Amino acid sequence: MNRTLLLLIVCCTCHFGCSSEENSSVKIGFIGPLTGGVSANGIGGRNSADLAIKLANSDPTKKNQYELVVLDDECKPNIGIQVATKVAANPNILGVVAHYCSAVAVGTVDVFHKFGMPMIVWGAVLPKITYGNSYPEVHRVNGTMINQNDVAAKFMVDMGYKTWVIIHDTTDYGKGHNKYFSESLEKYGGTILGSFGVTADQQDFNAELTKIKSLNPEVIYFGGITPIGVRIRTQMDRLNISAVFQGTSGIISDAYIEGTGPLAERTLAFREGDAAERLPGGSVFLEEYKKQQYSSPPEAYGPFAFAATNLLIAAIENTGSNRERITKYLNQVRNYDSVIGKITFDEYGQNMVPLITKFVVQDGDWVIWEQSEYKSGERNLSQKP
Amino acid sequence: MILDFLDQYLVNGLVLGVIYAMVAVGFTLFFGVLNIIKFSHGDVLMAGGFAALLAHQTLTSLGSELTIFNLIVTIIFAVLSMGLLGALAARFLVLPLKAAPPLNTLLITLMLGLAIREAVRLFYPNGSNPKPFPRLLPDTSTTLQTFQIRTDSLIIIFGGLGAILFLHLLIKNTRLGLAIRAIAQDSETARLMGINFRKIVLGTFALGSGLAALAGVANGLYYNEVNFSMGLFLGVVGFSSAVVGGLGSILGAIIGGFLFALLQTLGAIWFTVPAYKDVFAFIIIIVIMACRPTGLLSESSSDRV
Amino acid sequence: MMHSNLKISTILTAVLTMGAMAVFFISFLLAETEISLLITVALGIGFFIFAKNQSYFENMIIFSNQRPVFFHGLIIIIISLILSICKHEHFALFMIASVTLYATACFGLTLQLGYAGLTNFAGAAFLGIGGYTVAILANNNVPIILSVLFGGITASLIGSLLILPILRTRGHYAALVTIAFSLLFKTFLELNEFLGGPQGIKIPPMNLFGWSFSEPVLGGSFYISYVILSLIVMGVVLGITRLVEKSWLGLHFDSVRIDEVASSCFGINIAFWKITAFTIGNFFIGISGGIYANMLGHIAPTNFTFGDSLILISIVILGGIGNPIGVLPAAFLILVLPEKLQFIQEYRLLLFSILVILVLIYRPDGLLNRPLRKFYKEWGPPFIGK
Repeated sequence: MNRTLLLLIVCCTCHFGCSSEENSSVKIGFIGPLTGGVSANGIGGRNSADLAIKLANSDPTKKNQYELVVLDDECKPNIGIQVATKVAANPNILGVVAHYCSAVAVGTVDVFHKFGMPMIVWGAVLPKITYGNSYPEVHRVNGTMINQNDVAAKFMVDMGYKTWVIIHDTTDYGKGHNKYFSESLEKYGGTILGSFGVTADQQDFNAELTKIKSLNPEVIYFGGITPIGVRIRTQMDRLNISAVFQGTSGIISDAYIEGTGPLAERTLAFREGDAAERLPGGSVFLEEYKKQQYSSPPEAYGPFAFAATNLLIAAIENTGSNRERITKYLNQVRNYDSVIGKITFDEYGQNMVPLITKFVVQDGDWVIWEQSEYKSGERNLSQKP
Repeated sequence: MILDFLDQYLVNGLVLGVIYAMVAVGFTLFFGVLNIIKFSHGDVLMAGGFAALLAHQTLTSLGSELTIFNLIVTIIFAVLSMGLLGALAARFLVLPLKAAPPLNTLLITLMLGLAIREAVRLFYPNGSNPKPFPRLLPDTSTTLQTFQIRTDSLIIIFGGLGAILFLHLLIKNTRLGLAIRAIAQDSETARLMGINFRKIVLGTFALGSGLAALAGVANGLYYNEVNFSMGLFLGVVGFSSAVVGGLGSILGAIIGGFLFALLQTLGAIWFTVPAYKDVFAFIIIIVIMACRPTGLLSESSSDRV
Repeated sequence: MMHSNLKISTILTAVLTMGAMAVFFISFLLAETEISLLITVALGIGFFIFAKNQSYFENMIIFSNQRPVFFHGLIIIIISLILSICKHEHFALFMIASVTLYATACFGLTLQLGYAGLTNFAGAAFLGIGGYTVAILANNNVPIILSVLFGGITASLIGSLLILPILRTRGHYAALVTIAFSLLFKTFLELNEFLGGPQGIKIPPMNLFGWSFSEPVLGGSFYISYVILSLIVMGVVLGITRLVEKSWLGLHFDSVRIDEVASSCFGINIAFWKITAFTIGNFFIGISGGIYANMLGHIAPTNFTFGDSLILISIVILGGIGNPIGVLPAAFLILVLPEKLQFIQEYRLLLFSILVILVLIYRPDGLLNRPLRKFYKEWGPPFIGK
């Protein structure tokens, strides 16, 4: 029996020796919610980042081979900090494309800063993530909810709408949208008849919607993401509420259209950055994404994850394997061409998104407003089709 | 202003109450026979909704266009498949843990719930996103003086109550029901009297899970949407309703369900931030528990299930 | 204490088993690739079966009973060794600290659920109360040691709001009270801007008598400070919990749990003992919540949901209700396993739930079930049942 024991000890030591063996490719981290309620977005982002890696690896002009280290933050701050520590403490990972959920990103930027880990946010929209600190490591390719709501409010007021009711979820995302949209709307002279904070796992909105029906607004603004967006839009129909449904970037997804079916028609939403479809690189992205036959679509923020990963790859290609130099390179990014338009980081590492794209659902597709029949006057937003 | 829409609030509250009651009855049944909490109940409901969706898609792809036929087949498929799932869960997860502390059953069913939820999310095509549920009920509405009621709401309310009544009659008037009641009262003695304990437990789980599936279908029909995480909250609410009504009593579960729906609706009307409605409902529940420690209809050993 | 019948071989095998467990622990924690993870698990299981056949674990128990000072000294040495090996491994240290703090919280739950029979489904809420108390106090420059203690006290105080309904109800009815509390706690946090709202609140790093917790310690990671602190706290709490169990306090708790009517017939004040267990338990949970929040540096309402309460209760159940020692492997399993399954990405929670189900089917009473109370020395081993 002692021999068995010896064997075990030998195996242990051998296994320690083996595990330290290193892979030669350059590692990039990806963090997003892969399980739980918003996993659709996380998986879409993961697939897009994976696509960027695959394309880079098949590109002979690239110096390095890349490997994506994917981690799930469950959209929970404590798990987020846990995986951020894991990524940042691993010296073989040179940069990270991280976070869809704002509450997670707010907590992890400290960790990334502590470890000097260059990171690019691909989906979280809370302004505080970049503007709340002066960490050189922190960057963000997507815009914040401030820009988005300012454009949204101005656009809607210019369209001639006067009264709004706001429904928002009580997460940081919904609450932030409520705050910035209300501020902008006040600035442009719209009237808010009431605002309703609802929990993100709520199923039934009939009571709230009945109350809203009695307020009779022209527009219902919804600050939140697809799952409850779908619920609210379908339940609006049950109560025969014909107000215009105006959403945020969180509902720009194929899932919204699939979930609401024909009711999706004439839903408005706004997103930072140019539309992928409209950019030469963007249509390549969509084509390549299709070619890979991922089981789920890229969702609204997939292009951002793709752009962030490409940017990180470009940084590594240009500077070599050193986190400080990568950070420095990223801080100097100006007019970098990507699937989401040109990327320029300001002193906070925030991409100065020059453009907010307006979308409207027309015949089961998110159509850019300027190209839609609503713009040309063939259809009317305020009228049920 | 609020009174203008009293009918809306009322009808919606009733539908919610019926759905909650259907979930609560399941909890009460499981508690009756095995004295356990089955935490996967909400996820069984969700899976029932998805099973119905799957059945409906298969039917339409086979070219069946008769709505009423589709509806019935869909419901039967959902109820049977979830009943089977419930029986399997009882056979392989709950019964083996019978000798362990009852809380261990809670953990294993909790994990089962997580597994069901994750499996639907991962393996149902694009399951992580909400799915539209077909409108199989007539969406006309009836007007009674000033009250306007949609037909589908009415069908759901009466259908749900009918299902609960059916279950009640089954338990009161059949041999199976007698056996269930016997085991609920005293499982040792019941076994000595020759009742097949295992079979009855499996049967009870099948019944409860079937009812949950029905609630899932009702939920889908009412909201025209199903999603993989909808069972979480409904499970908790169903459990709360069952307990607040008094575990082991079907009437208690019904009362609990409607009470919870009432509290939520009142909360949504009263508070400017509707998110407080759940806080409100749960505070009231805590107060009720402090005043009536064994639920509104006190559990008495002779009247369990 | 010296028993003449303790053989050298018993001591040797006991020490060997402990060493092997430590090696398994480290290599599981540090294993990065799937292959090394698999090898570790395979070797671990191999050793476990081997040790079980050779009754090494029994030897370990005999050893711990008869040479308690030596045994505990050895544990401290092993822990120091682990720390010195891992001192640059930030992530491993972070996980060790998390497991330790969750285990500390679960000792509180063990007191409530395992000893006094009070179901508490609001563990994460009390964890959150501790965390938020520390967040507010630390942001107002209150010394950290005080604010952590206050975290515990606040958790006990807020918990006392629930005492009335909990005293009046039993079993599942009491469970509902705590479930309701757990649910409303999270919504309350989200709606309350004073506590940072849904995006949470930041906490400045700890500073203990001039020992800054954000600086690297002993030439290693800055997480070492947290690991040491949480290990000390866990050691103290575990000591208290086991003392309570052994003493007349534990007897009273057991009696209250097993039969309330009989206990009150014997003049035991049920309410008093329930309140005691509930308050002490919440205090422990609050303290660990405070340190955990400090280590994270940022907490948000979504850390303290009903789901997180279920994680805590899962650890207690999986460990074997009422056995504080069982909490340790269970906390390790529940917290580290999902992390080690990261490589299967979105499938990890599915696999995790299936694994826990399998564990429960093979060990229906949890990993280590509670031993029979030992009134005499010769009676049975102290912490592993049959």
